[in-house]
Amino acid sequence: MSSTTTQSGLARARRGVAPGGSGGGNVNRKSKLSGQTRRTFFWLLLPSIVLLILINGYPLIYAGVQATHDGSLIDTGNFVGVDNFATVLSSPAFWKAAQFTLWFTIVGVFGSWLVGLGLALLLRTKIPAGGTFKVLLLLPWVVPIVVSSTAWNWLVATPDSLIPSIFRNLGLGTPLFLADPHLAAVMVMVFKVWVSFPFMMMMISAALASVDTTVYEAASMDGASKWQQFTQITLPMIARSTYISWILMTIFCVNDFPTIYLLTGGGPVDATTSLVVLAYRSVFQDFQTGPGVAIAFLMTLTLVVVSVLLYRQIRKSSVE
Amino acid sequence: MNVKSEASRNFSRRGFLGLTAAAAAVPLLAACGGGSSSSSAGGAIKFWDMPWATPAYNEAAKKITEGFSGANSQASYQTIQWNNFYQTFSSAIASKTGPAVSTGGGFQAFQFDQQGQIAYADKVVEALKKNGQFDDFLPGVLEPFKSDKGYVAVPWQLDMRPLWYRKSLFDQAGVAVPTDWPSLLDAGKKLKGIGAVGFATGSGAGNNIGNHLMIMMMINNGGGVFTKDGQLDVMNDRNVEAIEFLLELVSNGVIDPAAVSYTTDNLDAQWKNKKAAFGMYVLGVPQRVGDTSGDLLVASPMAGPHGDKATLVFPNNIMMYKNTPSQDASEAFLVYYMGQLKQLWQQKLMNALPVFKSITELPEFASDPNNVKIVKEYQPIAKTFAAQGTSLNANLAVLDGGQALNQFTQTILTGKTDAKSALTAFQTGLQSVLKK
Repeated sequence: MSSTTTQSGLARARRGVAPGGSGGGNVNRKSKLSGQTRRTFFWLLLPSIVLLILINGYPLIYAGVQATHDGSLIDTGNFVGVDNFATVLSSPAFWKAAQFTLWFTIVGVFGSWLVGLGLALLLRTKIPAGGTFKVLLLLPWVVPIVVSSTAWNWLVATPDSLIPSIFRNLGLGTPLFLADPHLAAVMVMVFKVWVSFPFMMMMISAALASVDTTVYEAASMDGASKWQQFTQITLPMIARSTYISWILMTIFCVNDFPTIYLLTGGGPVDATTSLVVLAYRSVFQDFQTGPGVAIAFLMTLTLVVVSVLLYRQIRKSSVE
Repeated sequence: MNVKSEASRNFSRRGFLGLTAAAAAVPLLAACGGGSSSSSAGGAIKFWDMPWATPAYNEAAKKITEGFSGANSQASYQTIQWNNFYQTFSSAIASKTGPAVSTGGGFQAFQFDQQGQIAYADKVVEALKKNGQFDDFLPGVLEPFKSDKGYVAVPWQLDMRPLWYRKSLFDQAGVAVPTDWPSLLDAGKKLKGIGAVGFATGSGAGNNIGNHLMIMMMINNGGGVFTKDGQLDVMNDRNVEAIEFLLELVSNGVIDPAAVSYTTDNLDAQWKNKKAAFGMYVLGVPQRVGDTSGDLLVASPMAGPHGDKATLVFPNNIMMYKNTPSQDASEAFLVYYMGQLKQLWQQKLMNALPVFKSITELPEFASDPNNVKIVKEYQPIAKTFAAQGTSLNANLAVLDGGQALNQFTQTILTGKTDAKSALTAFQTGLQSVLKK
């Protein structure tokens, strides 16, 4: 078989085209709605629109007011313009938290994606008690974070905890997983991957389920190796789900308060303080409402930018 | 049929942006509040109380509250969880759905007074003078609540930080219970030899015992974070000396090297599992960790190198708010409630010290020798976060549990610093958040 034939088969497979299939068409006709129908749509949507404005719009506007004032949760105080933003951006604590948030997000997104992908592929094969495994693998996502963080604390917190004891018995010393700043940062990220991989696994499993198995048969007949099938069929076919899951996981990681706060409280010595933890501390522990909300605004802005960039990737992955 | 193209049509850019904006708004919503509020209880006095002890405590407090009928009013009771309590109170007060009277954080009354929300308790104090309860207060517990404008609150219990020890571990190590700093260091080294912790503490997630230890050691040495007139005074010699000593304890392993990450559960486990031999902790440790064998005892206060003796106390209080159906009823309720407090100790529902001498003499309280020792030896020398001064204020809330103190504590407990550098950073951190 020539490589041209193989590439042709893979190209067809990437498009989700079964051998001999037509490939389908990208029909994108806009329906013409009458004015009456549009008005009906509007009235039907109105309650939802009002609710959205109340639920999202009002807090956003109020947060905007607080970010530009020097008051408290009770009294917004005096207008200070962008002073709070300047204060935040000139603070080393903000940049340290931003750096940790970046690493936490990168490890959280790609770590959970890799583990989720591996397990999703494994679960696609016929293994004994596959259903039971699926349920067990979902547990980290299902168990309330307060329970899992407590369990992890028991496992690693003190020199007498299970995992440090194992290290000690193996002659590897007694690592203080939550007391050492570097180890604590690693531990929080590992915990995040552990909590998040079931979500990724579900997203990828759903995407894989929609892939026609005959695509692989076609590629196999064309001589594609398993690795080629993985890189040139599986990954492109789940690309859309992957980008969506990356967007969602990026938002989950950047906004993740409980995972960090319950396990380390942001310590030791701010080693695991993320931006959302810093914002919380600023508002509710230092009672600096304006700077705290300013941090939250900056986070939101960053998330929107990152999400739009990833969204463009989604659109690209849709182009035939 | 191309499934992707169909999905693509349904997933528009605009829809995506809307979804993204909604999801991204989460931190903003988290930061800008949204705490709970309760519906109005009509003309009744709303009393909000914290879960100070087991649920049985809140049941008893509710019963007392609902027994009120004075000034043509009734009272309703609501428990407010500690989680995000400041947010809960703030949002309720802002929306005029807050309580008329409440317990709360130790410095909450001063925080809300600063924002013009507190009704002064001078008339309540006058009433307490008339009914005899004023003279029943333990020495020095009421004065800290008197501001230039009036009493911002009335104390009802004392949260003390005494020193505890496990007798069997000291017997095993063959050392005496420390009475001063040098003997603490010496005993700690010997206790370490038997695998015990000579000075137990922790400053992990949600644990402020380490923070309190830092301040306790400063005031135990005659220092403190503020001057007598409330000015910031972190770098005084006594503080430097206290922190140098703590660093010495860390470097000698007398303080557990993992303490920086210990939650209160971890700390409880150390006391329960006979690992912790000595340390500053809350009241009622035997009951807290479930060991009432008599092996866990209160130690006498240690003397600092200059002979000073002191520990930390948080005078928890009950405050009144301006938003009330009737100020007269609020005051009548508070006087009534103060008169019923002894029930809580009679039923052994409290782990805190009472503020009234008469309650300390109740058999239910005095039958515990640890309680008696704390009242006798610690209460007279106890100081608040305001030490070296005595007047409480809103800035103390920023000190208590704020980032600056927490970071300072964790820096000390990791031992990777020197006293002056750590105190300088602490002072800078405090200066940036304290109200001028």
